[in-house]
Amino acid sequence: MVRGSRLRQIGWAICIGVVFAGFMLLTFRVNAVKSEVVRAEREIVVLEREKLAMETEFETRANQQQLADWNAIEFGYASPRADQFLETERQLASFSAPRAADSPPPIRFAREMEASDYPALVSPLAEHDNPGDGEPEKVAAPTQGEARIALASFD
Amino acid sequence: MASIPIDSMVAAGPLRVANKRLESLLVARMRALLLMPAFGLIAVVALLRIASFGVLGAPDTPMSMEQRLLPPRGEITDRNGLPLARNYDAFALWFNPAAMKDGGSPLVHTPAEVAAKLAAIFPELDRADVAERLASGKAQYLRRRLLPEEANKVFEIGEPALELPAEKERFYPQGSMAAHVLGYVKDGKGYLGMEAVLDDRLTDERLRGQPSAISLDLRVQGALEDELRKGMLSVNARGAAGVVLDVDTGEVVALASLPAFDPNDVKPTDLIGTEEQRRLKQPSNSFNSVTYQVYELGSTFKPITIASAIDAGVVRDLGLRYDAKPVKVAGRTLADSHSLGDTLNVPEALIHSSNTVTARVADKLGGDKLRDTMRSLGLDERPYIELPARGQPLGPGEHWSRITTMTVSYGHGIAVTPLHLASAYAALVNGGIWRPATLLKVEPGTEVKGRRVFKEDTSARMRQLLRMVAVYGTGRSADAPGYRVGGKTGSAEKPSAHGYRKKSLVSTFAAAFPMDDPRYVVIAMLDEPQGTTASSYQRTAAWNAAPIVGKLIPRIGPMLDVRPDLSRDVDISDLRPLIRSDIE
Repeated sequence: MVRGSRLRQIGWAICIGVVFAGFMLLTFRVNAVKSEVVRAEREIVVLEREKLAMETEFETRANQQQLADWNAIEFGYASPRADQFLETERQLASFSAPRAADSPPPIRFAREMEASDYPALVSPLAEHDNPGDGEPEKVAAPTQGEARIALASFD
Repeated sequence: MASIPIDSMVAAGPLRVANKRLESLLVARMRALLLMPAFGLIAVVALLRIASFGVLGAPDTPMSMEQRLLPPRGEITDRNGLPLARNYDAFALWFNPAAMKDGGSPLVHTPAEVAAKLAAIFPELDRADVAERLASGKAQYLRRRLLPEEANKVFEIGEPALELPAEKERFYPQGSMAAHVLGYVKDGKGYLGMEAVLDDRLTDERLRGQPSAISLDLRVQGALEDELRKGMLSVNARGAAGVVLDVDTGEVVALASLPAFDPNDVKPTDLIGTEEQRRLKQPSNSFNSVTYQVYELGSTFKPITIASAIDAGVVRDLGLRYDAKPVKVAGRTLADSHSLGDTLNVPEALIHSSNTVTARVADKLGGDKLRDTMRSLGLDERPYIELPARGQPLGPGEHWSRITTMTVSYGHGIAVTPLHLASAYAALVNGGIWRPATLLKVEPGTEVKGRRVFKEDTSARMRQLLRMVAVYGTGRSADAPGYRVGGKTGSAEKPSAHGYRKKSLVSTFAAAFPMDDPRYVVIAMLDEPQGTTASSYQRTAAWNAAPIVGKLIPRIGPMLDVRPDLSRDVDISDLRPLIRSDIE
């Protein structure tokens, strides 16, 4: 009886000791992490302030008046003229000159066409058939073989 | 455990029982004796802790990251989030004679040497003055707002008495730009501009972490001030004012009043005026000439009169010719600046800025109708804007005589601020809706509904007419190619105690662009421009204010997402045949 209870006591003591040690270990660990977080936060605050100061310094050095003065004295840039703007790609294409008779052939790059390179074809008939349907029936995109044939026929 | 004593008691008799009791009592007492000091110790520790709280105060709790990063006053940004006003730690240069702590001289070197070294870093410092201040041995600021590199150089001097404390300062990175809109801060309180208007929001603990965006666009503001300043200097004008207003929302994209002041360093003379300004009774630099000063804006009022007449159905046929000879009314003669022929139609009258025809149109329209239009354009009350500086217009009052109606029709006898004019022009071109101007950023879809002043087709007509003024008339130098600018010049003599002064003018150009789908109104105004070589010795708006707008619009157009396009324009083909080209 006494033996058993002593054993049990020791058992409890060991149990409590282990738990306490674990608890202390965890507390130390938590506190270590906490202080690390605090240190990181402090570092963030310092860096944020530094960032703010540098940003402000940059904004101050590059203020609008300063930029205008530099432009007036050093660069002399003018605002773009109306004819320097392009509205569409077509307008851009209109700048290209037709090929002269003796010009070298244009350089071509080989590339295998993917089926996704072509837009999905929409049958005009499909829309005609179901005028009520909002979604027009899509014709499956051509497979690679078909695409090649289509390309060939265009040439 | 509990069964053991009973067993032994039965076995040993009453004596053992008494012994056992004594023994247990002793043990209990011993335990109590041991426990008592333990409790006492805890009580003492607790008392000491309480006492330490009482004597030393509660220990400082470490501030959270958010609290540390929260600025003491909120940031003000432009509509794109770029900073216009912010708080940050700036280095100050503080002379602390007690820093050496050895009781000897506060400086390692002589005051003259240190002053020379400081003057090498800050060229604007007065060497003798600084040397004297260092020798005086009094703690004081030698300079504020040092750049970090300047602070490093001061540190390299190696004087412990020269301290560099970081101080919280309100800082305006753009310097004097938009000073009248922003205002300034003194002792934590905002004055003059949005600093005063947004004071509660900027200091509110819950809100100040988020920047407050205002409607200005920093780049447009910079371009406006730059062009105004150049224009003002080239014609030697006393002051200049300008505003860029979004016609559909009423947002002020740029607002400039020159001369300006630097909110980073507000001097008393900025507020009360320099001696010369006071002697000449001129406003100080902090005076906002866009929202506070009222001017007779002259011919820029003509489009308003014409629009009112078109809207009321008084002018139906734009080809109809009016008598353009001087008008004799109430003993006075109203004439044009130079003869424009015997008759003119309405488009010609606007293109050549005829007082006589506008007066005759106004006469036909009647004073009541013209007054109602002016009233619905808000020209009889202080301008709608958040700023505290809002000027009360001066007008002819409730009952307009015939001559009053005639002179008001071309902008005389009524004085308003340039901002009034901008809001009125916005209503003129945007389809006829008047909206109050605002300096707060308006989110798309939340703009004020406004009130209808002109019919949609009246506004369309005005777009054509204003465009024609810029293509064929007095506004030609404002016609930036591709931007479809339309607008009207105005040059009014300034009134004085002895009638109008012929030589001091206020010249204004009120414009909108692009005229086929107006987005922005631009007003440029010069106060007392002189005739110089830059303006071909002319003082009128066509030679000084209109060129400013002509240079400004190509600069700000692309920033405001208005692309120039030479292939687009307002269709003026129906009005083109109505104008003769022989008058100049």
